[in-house]
Amino acid sequence: MPEPVGIANLPNQRYKIVSKQGATFTLMVAGESGLGKTTFINTLFQSSLKAYQDASERHNKFTSAHQTVEIDIVRAILEEKNFKVRLNIIDTPGFGNNVNNHDSWTPIIDFIDDQHESYMKQEQQPSRLNKKDLRVHACLYFIRPTGHSLKPLDIEIMKRLSTRVNLIPIIAKADTLSPIELEAFKSRIRDVIEAQDINIYTPPLELDDPASAEHSKQLIESMPFAIIGSEEEYEVAPGNFVRGRKYPWGLVEVENDQHCDFKKLRSLLLRTNMLDLVLSTNEFHFETFRSVKLGGNDDDAGNEGEKDEDANENGDVVKKSLAKKPRRLHNPKFKEEEDALKKFFTEQVKAEEQRFRQWETNIVNERNRLNQDLEEMQTKLKSLEEQVKKLQLLKR
Amino acid sequence: MTTYLAEVETPIAATSIKDNIQQEVKIIKRKLNGYVGFANLPKQWHRKSIRRGFSLNIMAVGEAGLGKATLINTLFNREILKKEVEVEEEQESSETVSVKIKNTTAEIDEDGVKLKLNVITAPGFGESVNNVNSWKIIVDEINSRFDSFLEAESRINRSTVNDERVHAFLYFIEPTGHSLRALDITLMKQVHEKVNLIPVIAKSDTLTGEEIAEFKQRILEDIKYQGIKTFQPLDFENDEEETVLNTKQILSKFPFAVVGSTKEVETPDGRIVRGRSYPWGVIEVDNEDHNDFIKLRQLLVRNFLEELKEHTANTLYENYRTEKLNRMGIAQDNTVFREFDPLAKQEEERALHEAKLAKMEAEMKAVFQQKVSEKEKKLQRSEADLFSRHKEMKDKLTKQIKLLEDKKVQLEKQKTLPQEPAASSPAPTKTRKGFLR
Repeated sequence: MPEPVGIANLPNQRYKIVSKQGATFTLMVAGESGLGKTTFINTLFQSSLKAYQDASERHNKFTSAHQTVEIDIVRAILEEKNFKVRLNIIDTPGFGNNVNNHDSWTPIIDFIDDQHESYMKQEQQPSRLNKKDLRVHACLYFIRPTGHSLKPLDIEIMKRLSTRVNLIPIIAKADTLSPIELEAFKSRIRDVIEAQDINIYTPPLELDDPASAEHSKQLIESMPFAIIGSEEEYEVAPGNFVRGRKYPWGLVEVENDQHCDFKKLRSLLLRTNMLDLVLSTNEFHFETFRSVKLGGNDDDAGNEGEKDEDANENGDVVKKSLAKKPRRLHNPKFKEEEDALKKFFTEQVKAEEQRFRQWETNIVNERNRLNQDLEEMQTKLKSLEEQVKKLQLLKR
Repeated sequence: MTTYLAEVETPIAATSIKDNIQQEVKIIKRKLNGYVGFANLPKQWHRKSIRRGFSLNIMAVGEAGLGKATLINTLFNREILKKEVEVEEEQESSETVSVKIKNTTAEIDEDGVKLKLNVITAPGFGESVNNVNSWKIIVDEINSRFDSFLEAESRINRSTVNDERVHAFLYFIEPTGHSLRALDITLMKQVHEKVNLIPVIAKSDTLTGEEIAEFKQRILEDIKYQGIKTFQPLDFENDEEETVLNTKQILSKFPFAVVGSTKEVETPDGRIVRGRSYPWGVIEVDNEDHNDFIKLRQLLVRNFLEELKEHTANTLYENYRTEKLNRMGIAQDNTVFREFDPLAKQEEERALHEAKLAKMEAEMKAVFQQKVSEKEKKLQRSEADLFSRHKEMKDKLTKQIKLLEDKKVQLEKQKTLPQEPAASSPAPTKTRKGFLR
């Protein structure tokens, strides 16, 4: 029997290379404020990565009619067991706080699209070793634990998110719902998600691997995950600390599957499905964005291009996408300024119109007067004619 | 509680390649002690890589008769390449033998791990009397494989991008015992920046241990003198001691002196081995004392296959692509490599907005002014029209009146006696000439 070739060792090479390279992971949290997004992030990564928003600032924001949704990025390099992850947390503070939330999702959607576009442009450069990648690998959408159903705004934004990103809806602050209420709430949300054709992220079922398939099944059945977050630790037994929330009636434990789905979500995001989230973003969401951007999602266009000369084809594709498209600007203040400018001109136009109307009236009056003048002369002429006629008659 | 050994918050200046766009990006650095879970990612890759399978494209080049097919078959424990018996053909075309490119694929499964193997050979290489251009076809093949990858990755639909790039290039050196020949040097120089070049001394059983050592030394000197780059595994210093030692051993065997044989022979002490039996003894393929086959195989498959591919994709192909796109006149735009900054973004948007407003204002103003002046002109014209028409009519009437008046006066004069009291023409002051406006 000859020595093994060494092929069986290849997965270990991959393991080693990845261990050395580390990874980049970009996580977006979206949802109304006050649902514990910041707490959740800090709970998930066991470190206070995100500072809480200043309470006074929060107050100020409520008083202004136009609260702008801005994007907040926290960048971190975390190391766990010698493995390094470059982590980007994308927060969308204040989303949904306005009275009228129409279009309030545009900054979030734009951010996701912008990152895809930026990556695409970087990838097209002749030299592209230092690519900055902020493509969102997973978007956690926080649902308010109303116990009723999804709000229209939730549905609208989730629809838009689900076509661009791995969308993971979660029920925030789940300790306000009893197990029965929670189950009913979850099932109602699942129904809406299905009825509205919202494509949420589900872990792949690898049926040839029963253990992994079973794990995925459990995750899928628990969706949407009900979450509580806490950075506080309590001693449940001597020397045994758990993170949770303490109420007079009991302690809610974050990492207790009986209390909430935190551990399942953590597994989905990091322990078992992080790679799948990264790969599906790259191979599905990014590719979809790119093909739409480059060619209107027309598969034939790609094939036609192939027939062209090699060099031209490459060149064309690159140039096409380099052409800049005007950006949509969504800041409400911008709109206001535009409207003010338009109004200013409208008023000027009105004033001028008024002046022209007066002028026209003057001209009409003048014409009438002149006509009258002419008429008088005409009359005079007539009478003269008469007189002359008479005189001529007399003469005969 | 949050436990971390070190907490550093350092602004890192991310410098983009040439533009010197310095951006201060705040990055939090933490070392976690508790369980979070992302450290499991390499394991996820391990699993995923088994599901996806592996692939390798090897190009094996050397003159005929150096045992290329045998070595490839020995490397992968199976008959991948058939031995080419082209004696007749060789005799036919004596002056110029054209180099052909041959591609052979095989799928190998070892303990559930699959490898899709692609062996590219160039039969006819070095067989002509004048071999000046025989390297050209080989270089063209390497380039065209890069080109088709470039074409595929630029396509709109990239769901099926096959990597046919050459990941490893085995160059077979004839065991002359002298040094490299001109053709060897020319070919290696032509390809060394496009492929992971791995020179091997073929059929090394024709050289004694001393001869091999000397031959290797001379080859290494030639390679160094000519500035030829050969594949070097990088970044293994942090591995376990054993691995580092093994990697160093692999490196020390360059250029690998190998023998290939898929035949099993019996050694004098009764073992069945792959090797070649001579009256004076048995050379064993899988014996590190006899030749460097095992180390070569470790380099190609067991230890560095993935690194060969990474280096091809990230360095060799990237360099080729950069150069090609530059030649095509595609300008580099380094501004797209900036770190995303929401504040800068906002400012950018504000600037865009202001430009848009200014443009809007200018456009509206222009339209407004044009319309106003058009309207003004129109009104002035109709005013002027009115006056000129009036003047014309008035002149005409005035003339007629004058005529008639003259006539009347004449008629009245002719009348000797005024039959009637003169029509007391009531002072025909007829005009109010003052026009309004």
